[in-house]
Amino acid sequence: MSGADAQTYGDHSQWAETSHCRIAGVRHFGAFAALELIAPRVARRAAPGQFVMVTVPGGGFLLRRPISLFAAHGDRIGLLIEARGAGSEQLTQLDVGDAIDVAGPLGTAFPTEGVTNALLIGGGIGCAPLQYLADELAAAGAHVTAAFGFRDFRAARAAGAFSIERLWVATEDGSVGKAGTVLHLLAALDVAPGTTVYTCGPNPMVAAIQRWTFAEGLRGHVSLEAHMACGTGSCHGCVVDTARGKLRVCSEGPVFRLDEVTP
Amino acid sequence: MTSRRTHAIERGTGGAPLRGGGPQLSVSLGPVALDHPLVDASGTFDLLEYALRYDGDYFADFPYAAYVPKTVTADARIGNPAPRVTETAAGMVNAIGLENPGIHAWIGQLPGWATLRRPVIVSVGGNDPAQYAAVVAALEAHLAEAPAGTTPRIEGYELNVSCPNVSSGLQIGADPAATAEVVAACREATDRFLLAKLTPNVRDVTEAGAAALGAGADGLALVNTFKALVLDRQTLKPFLGNRTGGLCGPAIKPIALRMVAEVAQAFPDTPIIGMGGVMTGQDALEFIACGATAVAVGAANFTAFEAPQRILAELCDELEAHGFSSVAEARGAALLA
Repeated sequence: MSGADAQTYGDHSQWAETSHCRIAGVRHFGAFAALELIAPRVARRAAPGQFVMVTVPGGGFLLRRPISLFAAHGDRIGLLIEARGAGSEQLTQLDVGDAIDVAGPLGTAFPTEGVTNALLIGGGIGCAPLQYLADELAAAGAHVTAAFGFRDFRAARAAGAFSIERLWVATEDGSVGKAGTVLHLLAALDVAPGTTVYTCGPNPMVAAIQRWTFAEGLRGHVSLEAHMACGTGSCHGCVVDTARGKLRVCSEGPVFRLDEVTP
Repeated sequence: MTSRRTHAIERGTGGAPLRGGGPQLSVSLGPVALDHPLVDASGTFDLLEYALRYDGDYFADFPYAAYVPKTVTADARIGNPAPRVTETAAGMVNAIGLENPGIHAWIGQLPGWATLRRPVIVSVGGNDPAQYAAVVAALEAHLAEAPAGTTPRIEGYELNVSCPNVSSGLQIGADPAATAEVVAACREATDRFLLAKLTPNVRDVTEAGAAALGAGADGLALVNTFKALVLDRQTLKPFLGNRTGGLCGPAIKPIALRMVAEVAQAFPDTPIIGMGGVMTGQDALEFIACGATAVAVGAANFTAFEAPQRILAELCDELEAHGFSSVAEARGAALLA
């Protein structure tokens, strides 16, 4: 990795102090909830790709949950949460006016400098950070296309939370959009040379996107998912194998160069 | 009471600031003078990572009374395959695998945190006595030569004897003779304060404690994590990359308290760092009441950045509420009856 790349990934502000945030908006999409939080100190520092550690309310859970930023503007941040386990299910049941503790923004961010053509490839809940990225890229004048894959019609409910002008959807059961995986969408897209790829999703999808970008001669960036304990670099619980050795997803990531990780 | 400490406490959320005339918090951990009884448990709190994510000077606002860094070994270790952590009922299981850069690279990083004004207790790991002693000897050699102002205040060592023995594969700390060999080898290499951090995965924790003290340890730290197994819910195979891991968090607190009490009763004049699932000031006070001189906070560091400040403020309130004028007065209160 060149020095310039390292600087682009690592140059974003991280802040781990706890913010006690009021929920200003909730939208439900099946098992997904899009939360809007009043979090001025988090929003001010945030960049696309970064995440927050969210305390599950009620005291029944020891560890906070790492959630990527779905949006950030003004004094607000957005989180898209999938009810997957008992902790995330509680988070999807929060209401307007409820308060939750979040810490962030944390981790590295997607580099966007100088990007004119961007292809955003997401899988499942991994699509979440790509909305915030799309907002930033579009505001900077980039041409943004998104291709999202979901397992079935239940998972595809998440697509309703997104607002991206050129968004293509595939489901493996064929219930919504193109039948098949996100790779079937990519085969049908006309991708301009020099397009920058951004991806986030389950590890097998990331591995498939790595092969596809290599075959297409494209370069890109990936945001990885991992089990975390601290989320702030202390516990070394969330490592991933990379060309630079084992690196922490919370601290050296979650955004890495796409071709350097072994997900 | 220093203004720095007051500042650090007031930054915390939910805790009351220290009041003049409140309980006396300072304790002596052997020769190591602590402003208050809380330290971090090795591997749960990385000073440099905190400083990177803090508004202000974290070195000056450092909340613990001493810093115990992540365990360092003679050679670099890449650690265990992922996943390495998972949450369980009232706790978590981890199998990190002592990932660290090795003592020589570790020494090279010391100038980066030399301005920390708190004492440092270095956690040392290895798989045989020579590996432990090599870490201590390398650091002592460096400290003897290092120019003033280029190293933090290293005042002691904590020997992490929960590592597997190179010959048997069993935890060194589960074998009193092996524990004694590690302590004796390190004792030869330093005159600084030397703690043995005991594993709870034994029939009688006082046997390893007696072996460590007999071999020259100045104090004991306990407990490390409990060996545990978590299964993947779908596959019914071990979830962690290392298969087994160590259980910590509130689930272990009652067992840890019992073990600290046993050790404190067996070795009444020995400095003890008690730990195991400390989440609140009440928890910390209970370890002190069971005979701990100081208390280490581990998994709670993963729950909020401000956990140490909150727990210290709560400990202050609890001492006062229980009518103790000092931490020293509370020490062993549970053992008297």
